Amino acid sequence: MCDQPVTNTKEAKWQKVLYERQPFPDNYVDRRFLEELRKNIYARKYQYWAVVFESSVVIQQLCSVCVFVVIWWYMDEGLLAPHWLFGTGLASSLIGYVLFDLIDGGEGRKKSGRTRWADLKSALVFITFTYGFSPVLKTLTESVSTDTIYAMSVFMLLGHLIFFDYGANAAIVSSTLSLNMAIFASVCLASRLPRSLHAFIMVTFAIQIFALWPMLQKKLKACTPRSYVGVTLLFAFSAFGGLLSISGVGAILFALLLVSISCLCPFYLIRLQLFKENIHGPWDEAEIKEDLSRFLS
Amino acid sequence: MVLKAFFPTCCTSADSGLLVGRWVPEQSSAVVLAVVHFPFIPVRVKELLAQVQQASQVGVAVLGTWCHRRQEPEEGLGRFLEGLGVIFFHEPWLQLCRERGSTFWSCKAIQRSTPPGVPSEDQVMLVFYDQRQVLLSQLHPPAALPDHQAGDAPASAGGLAAVFDTVARSKALFSSDRFDEGPVRLSHWQSEGVEASVLVELAKQAAGPACLLLSFLLSLLSAMAACRLFRLWPLPFICSKLSTCEQVRHRLGQLSLVFSTQKAENPTQLMRKANVLISVLLDVALGLALLTWLHGKDRIGQLADALIPVADRVAEELQHLLQWLMGAPAGLKMNRALDQVLGRFFLYHIHLWISYIHLMSPFIERILWHVGLSACLGLTVAVSLLSDIIALLTFHIYCFYVYGARLYCLKMYGLSSLWRLFRGKKWNVLRQRVDSCSYDLDQLFIGTLLFTILVFLLPTTALYYLVFTLLRLLVVAVQGLLHLLVDLINSLPLYSVGLRLCRPYRLAAGVKFRVLEHEAGKPLRLLMQINPLPYSRVVRAYRLPSCGCRPKLSWSSLCRKLFFGELIYPWRQKGGKQD
Repeated sequence: MCDQPVTNTKEAKWQKVLYERQPFPDNYVDRRFLEELRKNIYARKYQYWAVVFESSVVIQQLCSVCVFVVIWWYMDEGLLAPHWLFGTGLASSLIGYVLFDLIDGGEGRKKSGRTRWADLKSALVFITFTYGFSPVLKTLTESVSTDTIYAMSVFMLLGHLIFFDYGANAAIVSSTLSLNMAIFASVCLASRLPRSLHAFIMVTFAIQIFALWPMLQKKLKACTPRSYVGVTLLFAFSAFGGLLSISGVGAILFALLLVSISCLCPFYLIRLQLFKENIHGPWDEAEIKEDLSRFLS
Repeated sequence: MVLKAFFPTCCTSADSGLLVGRWVPEQSSAVVLAVVHFPFIPVRVKELLAQVQQASQVGVAVLGTWCHRRQEPEEGLGRFLEGLGVIFFHEPWLQLCRERGSTFWSCKAIQRSTPPGVPSEDQVMLVFYDQRQVLLSQLHPPAALPDHQAGDAPASAGGLAAVFDTVARSKALFSSDRFDEGPVRLSHWQSEGVEASVLVELAKQAAGPACLLLSFLLSLLSAMAACRLFRLWPLPFICSKLSTCEQVRHRLGQLSLVFSTQKAENPTQLMRKANVLISVLLDVALGLALLTWLHGKDRIGQLADALIPVADRVAEELQHLLQWLMGAPAGLKMNRALDQVLGRFFLYHIHLWISYIHLMSPFIERILWHVGLSACLGLTVAVSLLSDIIALLTFHIYCFYVYGARLYCLKMYGLSSLWRLFRGKKWNVLRQRVDSCSYDLDQLFIGTLLFTILVFLLPTTALYYLVFTLLRLLVVAVQGLLHLLVDLINSLPLYSVGLRLCRPYRLAAGVKFRVLEHEAGKPLRLLMQINPLPYSRVVRAYRLPSCGCRPKLSWSSLCRKLFFGELIYPWRQKGGKQD
């Protein structure tokens, strides 16, 4: 390269390579250096109301927990008769069951291949086991202090909210763990109730609200979005009302939380989207593909 | 090249003659075994050597000449000795000579073959050894090379072994007595007390028939034990659990080994037989002492009277313990319902136990009397019996332990698998790892319900388990100590230890050399002394096999088993039974 004629250097094109000798100084930066840089090519444009609609899943789950706690409080205080709760729960479960098949015209059932006999068996298992174990549940935490039980329940319900499958694709999501934590919390709380019948009905209610209701919600959201919004609003208002009857401050705080999640958070998401700067280009990102475990051991 | 000549100390004052011994070419050493005195007939000497060689399979030959000058030096003798080398040809030809009035010996080794004219001479190193000690001692494979105390004695372990082996195997050479009038007169080590050996001979003659009779009786006994009646289901199982049966069986096996009419093949086997015999004799002597102590002054009655209150007392203490557990022990948060159920269950067991003991109480004295008789079979049998009695008397504790452990074990396993279900995982048996798994709704619900219940009930079960495990471990420790005592008597090689105490040279670990004379121009003279085997190695080498009640568990695995609530057994387990 060194013995090339000097006239050629003027026409020589700068190349973005290091392995060839080029007639430029070391600190030379060409105009074309960053021409392949792209910004935010995968950034999504969010619509405000679409985000609000999606956030309703979180609202629903918060409301479920709230409703559960409120109902437990009523049961513990003796203001709510267990028979009434059982009747209501049974009726709403039956309605939900019928709706579950009606919404998509039985397509989901055909796809999963689950028979009605299996449903009946599951229901029977729930009822039998809960009823059989309710006397055990009644005396289970007698010697444990109430504060411990409350702390454990709060911890478990928070865990339920954290690990719940809101539709995000993340490693932390585990619907099994979240459901188990909710059931654990419900068993803990049910063991503080005055009688074993109360405990039985509380656990049954927990299954309905934590296991069955999200399934119906998912189907509602997929098939009839309008009615889903209505149901969410209704559910949120009823949770708010229930909490209001116990504590005004708690209700206001809860309402603020709901509003901030459903209105403020989407607004902020869209605002902060403007400041997004993801750069993409024809370079290789440093990526460690090797199995690191052999270095750790 | 230095040539080593091993010379017996008993021949230093022998008359002049021929050196008889073995040449070890690998070590370039000559082991002198005996001296043949003048006058002799060369053909007779050769015949004798041939006989010895046939009997001992050792290449015994005439190695050279020995000259002990008591009077003034004779010119003729020296020439005559040189001439003998022609008759008994050997390569190299040793010429040892002890001067009168001088501590130095002259020593020559002549290689005849190298140059035909002038005989060449090698340097010779004289090593004296005590023939009796070397003959009787048994060289143990040395852990390290023998001590080099004086200079650099170039005797490796292999060379030593060859020397020891040569001396031990050429016993036939030493059979002739000093006073025998044979065709060839030899000088070598001789037993001092030949006359006393008449008794030994008599004992040897009597031992054969006695052994035959005893082994016949023993085989009769073992045939009785092996008969079909004892093969019925519960008996072998019970026998394998009772340490007395194991001990008696072990002793029977040992006795049949001792009294077997087969000859011991090697010194190790002989030593083992002697060890077993001494151990059995000591055992029986101790047992008889115990028997006389027990049966004098009505000690059995006192013991029986003391036993029932002790058992009652233990049961009472257990009751108190259970009542304490049924309250709120140490301020622990127990589940009241489960606590009451378990407590009542155990209390009922103690009640059963007390009534059982009281039912037995009239017979205790007679049982103890008969048990005391078993001490004449040996102390070990009595101690094993004591261990079995302890095991039987603390059967309630064992039962409690088993109930507690089973419950706890069930809970631990249940909790561990339900905890996996709680996290949405499961144990993959095929790949031996934890995999994630999607469960059905009802599986999850029931699993979590059970998990919650088990978690809250765990402290109660764990406390009961802990208390009864501690009690159980106490009993196991006592039994373990008794078994240790039995093992000690069973396995201690008393004969070998006694031999090491009284005749240290019989068990040799190696040798050391002491310099007698060292002066330039004269042959180096060394004295070989036998290093006795240390006591620890004696015990390790000759320890008798015990009956295998040594704990096979390591401490960590024991702790692991205790944590997971697996049962631990104190009693002996055969290798096959262990899982």
